[in-house]
Amino acid sequence: MKSILKKGNLEYLTSLFISILASLLIGALIMMANSRSPLVGYGALITGAFGSTYSLATTFAKTVPLVLTGLATAISFRSGISNIGGEGQLYLGAFAAAYVGITFTNIPGFLGIALAILAGALVGGIYAFFPALLKVKYQVDEVITTIMLNTVATLFTGYLVNYPFASSQGKMGGTEMITESFRLSRLVRLSTLNTSIFFMGFIAIVIYYLMEKTSFGYDSKMVGQNSLFGRYGGIKDKKQMVVAMVISGALCGLAGVFEVIGVHYRFLQHISPGYAFDGMLIALIVKNNPIGVILMSIFFGALKTGSISMENAIGIPSELVSVIQAIIILFIAGETGFKNIYKNWRLKKLHQGKVGEENV
Amino acid sequence: MFKELFNLALLQHTIRTATPLILAALGGLLTQQAGILNIGMEGMILLGAFFGVVGSYFFGSSLAGVVLAASIGALVGLLFAFFVIDLKSDEFVIGIAINILAGGLTVFLLRSIFGVKGAFSSPKIISLPRLNFSFLDNITILDTIFNNHTVFIYISWILVILAYIYLYKTPYGFWLRASGEYPKALETAGISPKKMKYISSIACGILCGFSGVHLSLGYLTLFTENMSANRGFIALAAIIFGKANPIGTFFAALLFGFFDALGTRLQVVGIPSQFTQMIPYLATVFALLIVTKRQLAKANKNREVKGIEN
Repeated sequence: MKSILKKGNLEYLTSLFISILASLLIGALIMMANSRSPLVGYGALITGAFGSTYSLATTFAKTVPLVLTGLATAISFRSGISNIGGEGQLYLGAFAAAYVGITFTNIPGFLGIALAILAGALVGGIYAFFPALLKVKYQVDEVITTIMLNTVATLFTGYLVNYPFASSQGKMGGTEMITESFRLSRLVRLSTLNTSIFFMGFIAIVIYYLMEKTSFGYDSKMVGQNSLFGRYGGIKDKKQMVVAMVISGALCGLAGVFEVIGVHYRFLQHISPGYAFDGMLIALIVKNNPIGVILMSIFFGALKTGSISMENAIGIPSELVSVIQAIIILFIAGETGFKNIYKNWRLKKLHQGKVGEENV
Repeated sequence: MFKELFNLALLQHTIRTATPLILAALGGLLTQQAGILNIGMEGMILLGAFFGVVGSYFFGSSLAGVVLAASIGALVGLLFAFFVIDLKSDEFVIGIAINILAGGLTVFLLRSIFGVKGAFSSPKIISLPRLNFSFLDNITILDTIFNNHTVFIYISWILVILAYIYLYKTPYGFWLRASGEYPKALETAGISPKKMKYISSIACGILCGFSGVHLSLGYLTLFTENMSANRGFIALAAIIFGKANPIGTFFAALLFGFFDALGTRLQVVGIPSQFTQMIPYLATVFALLIVTKRQLAKANKNREVKGIEN
């Protein structure tokens, strides 16, 4: 707790708070420009996100992929290697889980679930391994390669799901349903919240421990800071980057696995509406802090869930929250710059004030 | 079947699909030369497509659509530059933020302005004018290549040449390139690298706006959610493949447009299009690998030479 309240952190938390507040204010102005009441709108958003067991469950159901992809981003970025390929790793992980679910139908449920999880993590990890290898071996910019590989993965799974693994029930861009015993059970009626949230909790604890309490986490911070200054360290640093990237890919793969075995029970051609990008924003907003990722994921999940109620209450399209989320990240990304501008402005004013006094 | 696929219609289709890529890539190569990796092009194209429809619908002219889209593009380019250059934010973070902002904003406005979800089409949206040179009508191949296209296809070709002249034959272009490679040297020469970066970013926004307009007012007059469909990233691929040189990038975009067109036609005949669609992305990864490997080898060689001298 002490460490959270350090001066630097406090300053950051203030900026974060101001950024979120300013973004919500912009949202309110948009509502007012459409002559709707922001109080009613945000009120509906809050009750829609937290007001009942169903809405709470929906909010938490939405946080599962966000936490996993958010942690994935945090662990890679902190090690100084940027995994922007989360979306592709998620798709491949999801497909791997669906493949397990429609192929190995004879094995007991718990084994099937374990196999699906393992397969998804493995596929996601391997897919992240290649850009990491290109980065440490040949210094190929991983930002570009991971972006490019995203589309390769969505196209590839798009092919699989429309041709060799297409569902026999019409052309719907989905695989067959996975075996019933492999499906994670739902926790609250009507909501998609399922037991994957417990898996997610466990994974989050492991990642937190790994990032904050182990020498791996410490080393990765060091490597990350080194690469910030453009220095490429030795073999050990490179290994660190590759490992961080593979873990990152595995986490994104897992996010896909849980969408299949927990939510849809099959692979769908457009299974993720950009979860990995949302997760990336979340990690960037909280500066790759694992606890922050969890809290911010709940906030984002609540915004998404509550936005539907907001739309019903005041007729403002629910997509307003994506706009608000993007503005938050703009403010946070410009944080240091804004602060510098403010400081310079104050210095100037102070200086001018002094000059003025002298003249008098 | 070979004849069904590879014919003049494919060539025409290629020219059409390549144009939005060429326009966006021309913009992106300017920022690339100025030392900024712009992955926000995807969002900029999407905004251009949307505001092109807005302008055309409300003012009843396609020119109004073009002007509005270009203005919004310039504004977003300015915003991008302000964050990246003045606030020193991470360029790819801002790029991703712009993409997400554009995705959310266009759907939000689509619903609040036009009251529809998914797609908006109306006879009131005026499409871009098409050009026809009647003296080419009788020469089939020239007719296919040069006739019956919307104006932006010709504009894109002219812009490629202009961009080449600008970058390699004028002092301004030299300054722009220097602002990316040797900003310190440029500053000593009394020219602000910051200004050059701003110019490149705003120009990129405008060109992405054009690219979007070509999508929404070119052949179909409509806007659909996420209409840019990864074109911003293919444009980036073309830039990397073409080493940010306008001529090289033009041919890369043309090549990627060809694979896109081929994919669409394959799908019509019932062959999966996904693998042809993958080509630009995979090609970029390999191109990057080859380029950086060569650079590394060169750097190592230089080091060895120096070692001997010492």
